[in-house]
Amino acid sequence: MGATRRARNQNPFLSYILILPAFALVVGLLLVPMAQNLYYSFFKWDGISKPIFVGLGNYLRFFADSNFVQSFVNTLIWVVATLAIPVAGGLVVANFLRGLKLENLFKSIFFIPLTISFVSTGAVWSYIFSRDLGMLNGIIGLFSHGTKVNWLTSVPLNTGSMIIAWVWQQLGTSMVMFLAGLSTIPRDPVEAALLDGANKWQTFVHVTLPMLRPVTTVVITMAMVNSFKTFDIIYVITRGGPYRSSETLAVTMFRETFTMFNMGYGAAISALLSILVILVSVSYIKGMWKKDLLFY
Amino acid sequence: MKHILSRTIIYFVIGILALLWLLPVLAALLVAFKTPQDFVSQKFYELPKSLGLITNLKDAMSQYKIQHHVLSSLFYSAIGAAAAILCASAAGYSIVRLRPRFNFALFLIIYSGTIFPFQMYLIPVYKFYNAIGLYDTRLGMVLIYSAICIPFALFVYRGFYTTIPRETEEAAKLDGCGPVRMLFYIFIPNSTAPTAVVALFQATWIWNDLLFGMVLTRKEEIRPVMVAVSSMMGFGGTSIPMLMSVVLAVSIPTIALFVFLRKYFISGMVMAASE
Repeated sequence: MGATRRARNQNPFLSYILILPAFALVVGLLLVPMAQNLYYSFFKWDGISKPIFVGLGNYLRFFADSNFVQSFVNTLIWVVATLAIPVAGGLVVANFLRGLKLENLFKSIFFIPLTISFVSTGAVWSYIFSRDLGMLNGIIGLFSHGTKVNWLTSVPLNTGSMIIAWVWQQLGTSMVMFLAGLSTIPRDPVEAALLDGANKWQTFVHVTLPMLRPVTTVVITMAMVNSFKTFDIIYVITRGGPYRSSETLAVTMFRETFTMFNMGYGAAISALLSILVILVSVSYIKGMWKKDLLFY
Repeated sequence: MKHILSRTIIYFVIGILALLWLLPVLAALLVAFKTPQDFVSQKFYELPKSLGLITNLKDAMSQYKIQHHVLSSLFYSAIGAAAAILCASAAGYSIVRLRPRFNFALFLIIYSGTIFPFQMYLIPVYKFYNAIGLYDTRLGMVLIYSAICIPFALFVYRGFYTTIPRETEEAAKLDGCGPVRMLFYIFIPNSTAPTAVVALFQATWIWNDLLFGMVLTRKEEIRPVMVAVSSMMGFGGTSIPMLMSVVLAVSIPTIALFVFLRKYFISGMVMAASE
């Protein structure tokens, strides 16, 4: 403690200088712009002419804009689906993988898609789902001749197809997290339960799962936040189409802002998106605060 | 007996799942090696008659100048991650060891940059870049990328620096080592593991970015590689084998990083989640 106190008094100027670059970059390029974005969301603005103050007008427009409603519904579909499939799937895979001889090989197989960008993932899957030359219709064609499914152009199948691509990419995230979590669980309670005559499933549900709860919270929060922010994969595969049917909030925000130049409206959508993301992360941030993860 | 049976079932299920996960990779690889002619005339599972990979890549280079985008993205990944590491380790060191007034508040302010979605600052940054001439410049890209990387990097360094023993520091201090030299000669050299995690993670993220590249750049020499791949897909004329050959080429760097530095990747993921 003495050392730190001495250091504090020694050279306060230098200690601030060391923080300054990080502080300036984050505040200047992220935090101040966020406040500006909130401000813009109260204006009707094409980005060039003088902004017109409309109060909550942009936010009220959400309810009347059928494109927005569609996009909001799609976002909810994404959140629910990507919560259920990769999270549950990751838990199951992690649980099965543990202790297998080929654990590392399998782990790498599920993990490699994570190192590939969303753009590349989207490119690969847009080939697989392609109507005329795609692999999936090719496989189907082996069994029933001439059947061609419009994976990417019929609604709501296109959203479903893209969710499959997402699951392929994201399963590794929750798998790695659960594996890390499982490895911290002590063996004793599990073995005690098994000795008491509980079967494997009961042990898993009543002993392992409760002990995994902190990890599960993290995985679920991460999955929800990430699916709220889904952009690249949709933009690359369908551009949100056909006729804006597969947009999510992030894609709608991009289109309204940078192709239609409704900057105020785009700002309002991003503000809404931020609120949703924060709401989802609140319990998690609180937990971190309580666990003193932020303090040293 | 029962045990062996359940083992077999587990292997079977996981094996099928692993094959399903490999299938898209294999499919893409196969297509990347086909010529556009073979791709159109063959069934999806047939092996190529003649190897098209090199021609596909050459075509992509002459039509879409992929090589320029690759070089730009390499630059952004390396410099962006390095700048973030430098800023974050300096700030982390000061916050943990020099402890100026408001150090915790300063940490929270910087750290809060990671909570919001990118969309929340996209428009103002775009306007700001246009106003001060950073739009469509390499400097502008490096600045925004490193700004986005700093909060996570700071979180990692701040955590790690508390574990560096004070004795080392005291000894160096007795030798007349000041705070700046302490940072560069004691703290940074002794933090290989966190630096590897941060560098790997942030460089991969920057390499894979689409959104900021799309919004903040326009010129071919400046645009990062994922924007180029994405716009290849927007044109009807791109052949799928050419696209797959490019996907293969741009995925190799990150896959290679993962293969060589797997343990850092995984600990980085766990850290990124617990931030």
